Amino acid sequence: MQIGNIIQLLSGGLAMGAIYVLVALGLYITHLTTHRVNFGQGDFLMVGTFLMLLLRKVGAPLGVAIAATLVVLAVMGWLLERIAIRPLDRKKTSPVGAFSWILTTAGIALILQNVIELGFGKTSQYSAPLFSSQRDQVVQVLGAGLFVEEILVIVAAILIVAIFYAFMFHSRWGKNIQAVAFNPESAKLLGIHTDRVKTGVFIIAAILAAVAGILIGPLVTINPHMGLVLTIKALIVAAIGGFANPVGILIGGILFGIFESLSNYLDSGFGDLYPLLAALIIIAVKPSGLFSEGRADVR
Amino acid sequence: MKKTYQQSMFKMAFTSALIACAFNVSAQVKVGVIEGLSGPPAIVDFGESYLQGIKLALKDYQAAGGKTKIELTVYDDEANPQRAVSLAQRLIQNDKASVIIGTVSSGNVLAIGPILQKAGIPLVAGPAIATNITTQFIEEKPSQIFRCSMVEKFQIDQMLDWGAKNFKRIGLIHSTTGYGNFAAKEIEAGLKARGVELVAMEAAAPNVTDLTPQMVKLRDAKAELVLNFHESFELPFRPLPRLNYKPVIAGNWGLSSEKVLEIVGKDAIEGTVMGQALDINTPRAQAFNEKMKKEYGKDYRWPVVAALGYDAGLIVFKAVDQVGKPDPAAIRNAIENIDGIQAVSATPAKPFSATDHECLDKEHVFLGVWKNGVVTRLN
Amino acid sequence: MSDNALNAKRDPKRLPYLLGIICFIVMPWLPLNGFYVFLAQTFFYTLIAVIGLNLLLGLSGQMSLGQAGFYALGAYGSALTALKLGWPVPLAIAFGTFLAALGGGLVGVFALRTRGLYLAMTTLAVGYVLDILAQRWIGLTGGAMGLSGVPQLEFGLPKLGPVFFFYFAGTALIVIQLLSDFIHDGRFGRNLRAIRESEVFAASVGIQVSRWKAGIFAFAAALAGMGGAFFAHQSGFVGSDAFTVRLSIALLIAAVVGGLGTKSGPLLGTLILLGIVEVIAGIDKYGLFIYGLILVTVLLAFPKGAAGILDSLTTKLGLSRKKITLLDATIPSSKEQLSELALRRIANEGTSLCLQGLSKSYSGLKAVDEVSIDIKPNTVHGLIGPNGAGKSTIINMIAGVYLPDTGTITLGGQNISSLGVAERAHLGLARTFQNLQLIEAVSVLDNVMLGVKHQQSYTKDFFDWLFKNSLEKNERQESMNILNFLGLGHLADRLPGELPYGHRKLLELARAIAQRPRILLLDEPIAGMNAQEAKEIAQVILKLRQLGITIVLVEHNMEFVMSVCDELSVLNFGRLIAHGTPGEIQQNPTVIEAYLGTGVKK
Repeated sequence: MQIGNIIQLLSGGLAMGAIYVLVALGLYITHLTTHRVNFGQGDFLMVGTFLMLLLRKVGAPLGVAIAATLVVLAVMGWLLERIAIRPLDRKKTSPVGAFSWILTTAGIALILQNVIELGFGKTSQYSAPLFSSQRDQVVQVLGAGLFVEEILVIVAAILIVAIFYAFMFHSRWGKNIQAVAFNPESAKLLGIHTDRVKTGVFIIAAILAAVAGILIGPLVTINPHMGLVLTIKALIVAAIGGFANPVGILIGGILFGIFESLSNYLDSGFGDLYPLLAALIIIAVKPSGLFSEGRADVR
Repeated sequence: MKKTYQQSMFKMAFTSALIACAFNVSAQVKVGVIEGLSGPPAIVDFGESYLQGIKLALKDYQAAGGKTKIELTVYDDEANPQRAVSLAQRLIQNDKASVIIGTVSSGNVLAIGPILQKAGIPLVAGPAIATNITTQFIEEKPSQIFRCSMVEKFQIDQMLDWGAKNFKRIGLIHSTTGYGNFAAKEIEAGLKARGVELVAMEAAAPNVTDLTPQMVKLRDAKAELVLNFHESFELPFRPLPRLNYKPVIAGNWGLSSEKVLEIVGKDAIEGTVMGQALDINTPRAQAFNEKMKKEYGKDYRWPVVAALGYDAGLIVFKAVDQVGKPDPAAIRNAIENIDGIQAVSATPAKPFSATDHECLDKEHVFLGVWKNGVVTRLN
Repeated sequence: MSDNALNAKRDPKRLPYLLGIICFIVMPWLPLNGFYVFLAQTFFYTLIAVIGLNLLLGLSGQMSLGQAGFYALGAYGSALTALKLGWPVPLAIAFGTFLAALGGGLVGVFALRTRGLYLAMTTLAVGYVLDILAQRWIGLTGGAMGLSGVPQLEFGLPKLGPVFFFYFAGTALIVIQLLSDFIHDGRFGRNLRAIRESEVFAASVGIQVSRWKAGIFAFAAALAGMGGAFFAHQSGFVGSDAFTVRLSIALLIAAVVGGLGTKSGPLLGTLILLGIVEVIAGIDKYGLFIYGLILVTVLLAFPKGAAGILDSLTTKLGLSRKKITLLDATIPSSKEQLSELALRRIANEGTSLCLQGLSKSYSGLKAVDEVSIDIKPNTVHGLIGPNGAGKSTIINMIAGVYLPDTGTITLGGQNISSLGVAERAHLGLARTFQNLQLIEAVSVLDNVMLGVKHQQSYTKDFFDWLFKNSLEKNERQESMNILNFLGLGHLADRLPGELPYGHRKLLELARAIAQRPRILLLDEPIAGMNAQEAKEIAQVILKLRQLGITIVLVEHNMEFVMSVCDELSVLNFGRLIAHGTPGEIQQNPTVIEAYLGTGVKK
């Protein structure tokens, strides 16, 4: 393969991998703190994408559109935790057991899909580029043409992961989150409002989904049902990376994206299956993920 | 004496009125419609557009003073054959439909076909395009299955004729579904018969979001014409700007949807060729276009599919009106022998015969090309 | 109540079944249009699949988001063997079911290493992959165009085809529903519920958790496959578009809305689901919204589902029937006779327990440091020490929950260091838990029965249940005896959640006793109890020792420990610092220092 092609594939893979990382980080942070995730994380992303589409269509300036989308998704994250997750904590002995949140969040995902369908129609849509006035702006790098938006996604993702890391490990809030993650009871004793932290992580996860949605819009054709595949892939990335390790998720997501791109190049017919199968095998062999520490010694 | 006479007169009048009413009531015919109205966007675009055409045809029929009262029962089969079969059963046994129109997925049509054939209820299939939908049942007499839609084989033949004549290096990208694989086989064989070999053949999953790897390979193979038989019709276009690659793209009628235009942009789609059955420049097509825009506004996005839906409706409603009562066997005969159809699409005035249940035969399918944001006939 | 009187009492399940069967036989001949027969057929095979999911999720607590994949395996397995190999339809359906069971078993084994979220993800991915395979393996499945002309159940009379199918599918359903009810009522259900409650807990009563988990997975997959196989032959067409994630979600909705873990839940849920599907057939705009709303509403407001709502309605109207758990215990006339009966059964030959050089570290912190203890048979041995001394860790190592880093554990001369929890239970080791493990969803009596060894074959049990309305009579008797021995007999048909804390602890003890242990591990047996209750427990423990059982207990209450134990081992910071009789320990300066700190002289 020529160098140009390699760069082409890498860049595409990196961009998609970056999107998976953003979505997976949202899953990571909620799982860490509450042992629950939003099974509609991909659909939250979809809502973010459509919101941007709408706001840009009515002519809102870029900054306003982004801010509005983030705010709306943040509110949705808050609502999700209050409606679909927290009430279930009190129902530990319910017949569905400890996993009813999987079904409630999935149910909300279905509702979101229908709402978007009603507003935008069921068909596919095109989302305008973020920073250019015309579409399909290309930059040449070593013989490969890269979309400006693509580069943007990669840069933005790296930035956000860096900010996320700084937040998690060097800020007061981040330390609170880790405390609650480690042991909610002792965190309470330390004076941390565990409830606020739990709601907070879902808001952060929703914002991450919103950012991913804003970035992915110009790259793909969007439709109300694009969420499920993204949720599955993000869950897989989070699992491979080890649900407890954000750097692991970064590496895992990027590897997954690149693998996808290469796999599609080498076997265009079934290329999309190989990453999924590989991931399933990895989870079977090492359930705690490639990058997490420790082996289970509790049976 | 007078009173008794008056009484009997009154009784007779009353009874005749009743009988007249009864006849009017039984003159209502139920037409069932099964379409894919939810699920993958590609399906929904087809289903919604076809249904738009049918509904407008009904409106026009009623406005033109159709005598027989027609009730349209519309169901969504969710692109799921299990639903399609259940809905067919419901229409036949519960709703007592006399004729059915639908649906989008060829698989679903093949699922309900045998049921309708057995039950003796005529089906005007559409917009499904699988070649064998009508031929499967044409030998059985009476054959219940008709179709008012594009036939995949005819599009491909037209396209290959034109492609082989005008291009030396032809590539293909197809999806890995039944539809895509069937098209790929037809194209390979068809090109070979015309003495041309594909320089590259790429496949892709139906729900991939990015076709860059495949387009890279097509570019490296220097394909000048790329045949596009992937359900996400707009996907091959999107990577092109960054690959510095501008082949001519040709594919099936999916490429004529205005949604594709909206997504890839007027410049990118200029010069794209596809199978067509609607010549927008004819006066009837123009009138139809205007009426649809007025009726559906932005929701109207696919002229050719809507046109075929309209023509299917025209045929069915005219046939029903001719028969005047819920008699599936008579309606079937009426459909088979229908004449004088003023179709919007290229459907002829007498579309069917005992051996041909296709609205559009080979000679009615032509090629269209995007010129200046409009699909016109390719000359 | 005498035996005869009990048998004469009407079997609570006879009436609904009888009614159901009558309606079933009569239905195709009623003057309804044929579409209702078609709907009934769809109801039958969908219900079969939902019953499977209910057993998997409702009883064993394993979440599968990919049942559509097994449904597809059944459909294709059956369609292909009938179509391409010419097998008769019933045989083809059996093969489809078997193929799905195989697939389910594979996934189940693979999924043993995952639980909860990971399991849900894995099943979601598996279902997705199977859907893709069905779509693309066109040579085999025909993809979306599918397989046509799949043979239907006509037996040469095509006009009566739908009726034959109706009876065949319906009969299969009745059999499956009976099996499902049997599973709920008996040992299978109990064991599955224990696994759902906690796998460690289930293993501690001797359940081979991996086998059961994989087994129920395979069974649920088999039922989904049977549903799919019937579907394939209903209309003679199978296409890959029928097996998307939407189907998996629909089955889940039916299971949840009906009421998970109940016998009638699947039936009600499937009725509701199919009802909704037919109602929204004409309103394509709001379908997803309705599904999502129902799912969320049921989970938040009616977690027990339709079955739960019906239950509370019938209780309010005073119509509820007595469950079969309570009735057929032959109650002896006096308390003494009772105790004797119980005691005779429980008496056992206590074993010795030898811990040698046990150590365990967590991330550098040594929780247990080279501890060696010799526990003589038929004694009460106490493990005491300040908080964090490592007592619970040692108990868990003895039980097999934790693997020691070094050292061995010998039970009656046999090295059990590498044996699993369930195997140790089979060797006569029973335990209670610090945080009280009970199955909240079943009665007090059922909780005790969990410990009782299975006495006859499952087939015999099934026939007892089906024809004599007396399931596991002997096991139930034995459990009642133990409950009476502990003074809990009058609470036998209550739920554990209704009991005060002290009685819950007694209940756990009852379960452990029911295992007829040779050695009993008690983790803080009187925590949270008042002085009177503690005295009663002490009496029970002494009685158990009298019966020959070895007892090892962890406790903080010194009075209790001194009064009950023959020997004590004192731990501090993971090390054994003293060992001896209660009298010796009380005088031991090292012990006093450990508890009270330096500077205190006796």
